[in-house]
Amino acid sequence: MNVLGMQTLFVKEVRRFMRVPGQTVLSPLISTTLYFIVFGYSISGRVHEVEGQPYLHFIVPGLVFLGIANNAFLNSSSSLFITKIQGTVVDLLVAPLGPGELMAGFIGGAMVRGLVVGGLTWAVAALFSGFSLEHALVTAYFLFISSYVFSVLGMLAAIWAEKFEQINFFPTFVMLPLTFLGGVFYSVRELPSPWNTISLFNPMVYMVEGLRYGMLGSSIFSPVVGGAILAVVAAVATGVVYVVLRSGYRMKA
Amino acid sequence: MSEPPSPALELQGLSKRYGNFTALQSVDLSIRPGEIFALLGPNGAGKTTLIGSVCGLVRKTAGTIRVFGRDLDADPVGPRYELGLVPQEINFDPFFTVAESLRIQQGYYGRPRDDARVDEVLTALNLQGKKDSLTRALSGGMKRRLLIAKALVHKPRLVFLDEPTAGVDVELRRDLWTYVRKLASEGTTIVLTTHYLEEAEELADRVGIINEGRLLMVEDKAALLRRFGEKRLVVTFATPLPALPEAGQRFAARLSDDGRTLTYVERDGCAPAGDLLRALYAAGLPIADVETRRSRLEDVLIEVLRGRPSASAA
Repeated sequence: MNVLGMQTLFVKEVRRFMRVPGQTVLSPLISTTLYFIVFGYSISGRVHEVEGQPYLHFIVPGLVFLGIANNAFLNSSSSLFITKIQGTVVDLLVAPLGPGELMAGFIGGAMVRGLVVGGLTWAVAALFSGFSLEHALVTAYFLFISSYVFSVLGMLAAIWAEKFEQINFFPTFVMLPLTFLGGVFYSVRELPSPWNTISLFNPMVYMVEGLRYGMLGSSIFSPVVGGAILAVVAAVATGVVYVVLRSGYRMKA
Repeated sequence: MSEPPSPALELQGLSKRYGNFTALQSVDLSIRPGEIFALLGPNGAGKTTLIGSVCGLVRKTAGTIRVFGRDLDADPVGPRYELGLVPQEINFDPFFTVAESLRIQQGYYGRPRDDARVDEVLTALNLQGKKDSLTRALSGGMKRRLLIAKALVHKPRLVFLDEPTAGVDVELRRDLWTYVRKLASEGTTIVLTTHYLEEAEELADRVGIINEGRLLMVEDKAALLRRFGEKRLVVTFATPLPALPEAGQRFAARLSDDGRTLTYVERDGCAPAGDLLRALYAAGLPIADVETRRSRLEDVLIEVLRGRPSASAA
């Protein structure tokens, strides 16, 4: 295994997004903060409690999740896609970096960005609603698994995409609907049938609810079940990206 | 007796098809360690596809590729530590400086940071002054130099230069030639494609000619020039000759321009042009000017691509 190669790619990915912090960290932080202010304050006037939590507290885990999901996905997808467009993917393909090394570098870098934005969102939210951390290990697990899954999906989108239009397909047509149907701003238990059942097939629900359990101490699903489902999702996504990368699909002529 | 060293690169039956289009057709090729090999052919002949197949940019359809004896099918990653590629298309990562780009490249190849090597390569390619510049601020020629530096900074044993001097000035071209010769003298194997046949003629030990995905021939450059090459002797007379002189008839020369110009084409196996010239002087003819021109690789390439019968003897 090319440990130094993998480490180099990881450090490069982190430095890449840190070169433009306004675009990669500050901008998403502002948008999630706006979500907090607009949704939190406008709705909390009418909805005082959801699932036994004050509404302003209730939406914090979901907003942290949004910061993580969007930025982890954006980092790996845009970074890898841009290498294809710029032609610098040649450097990666010629170098002794196998699928494992490429994944570790891109996913690692994307996870750092997701977690940095998620962490800062949490810090900003704490200013509005106070800091709450009931189960640190559970929180850490769901932060980690959420950033991991979206980083992997970002890679998959970048491998598949050949045009700018295609790279926007996932965030617009897949992620955005699933995010808003993922229980960030409401409890999926309150959805009318059959949407509450359909929601069970949305992995984002388990990410949001897992973080809700870790941060606030209660959720509508057992974190063990949610955690296990997400571990399976992560394993399948990892396997798919590994196989696709090894095949050279849309990466090699 | 010791075993001969493995070829730096060995291709057997290498083929690549894109749908119905055949880009490479069962190419067999063996490149010796330490040689400079020029792969020549027109646009779309398959040169870049061949290089891409070895460097992991192209998925081959069939055949075997061995790098220093190691089969890429059995180990697709390990042999790549030995490879360097200067791609045809300019690429650069705008987020990093020139020196950072080279350090990243070292890391990709599992080499610890080596600033001395970075400086050495930058100096060789006349980029030392741009070390801390962002790559996007470089001129086109400088970006090309950076590509070359990136391909060499990890000290590869087999380097592919795919049109390395396209669009660069004469000075850099000369600098690069000097550096390529130095690398080869140190044992690096170089595979070069170029549109500047002068470049191949200047550098290559052996030449391969490829067209429509087929490797038409591989030959020692000097032998190739001897075999296909010709020397043309053109003698201009101060006063027109009424007829082809006796010496000219013996050598099957041609008189033209109303008796003012005599032309003789010396091919492999013909009498030397010098003998004809001596005979013309001995005959006391009014010679005003003598011009000779040796055919170049360019002429040979055209001959081979036109399918001169003896050209198929690869």
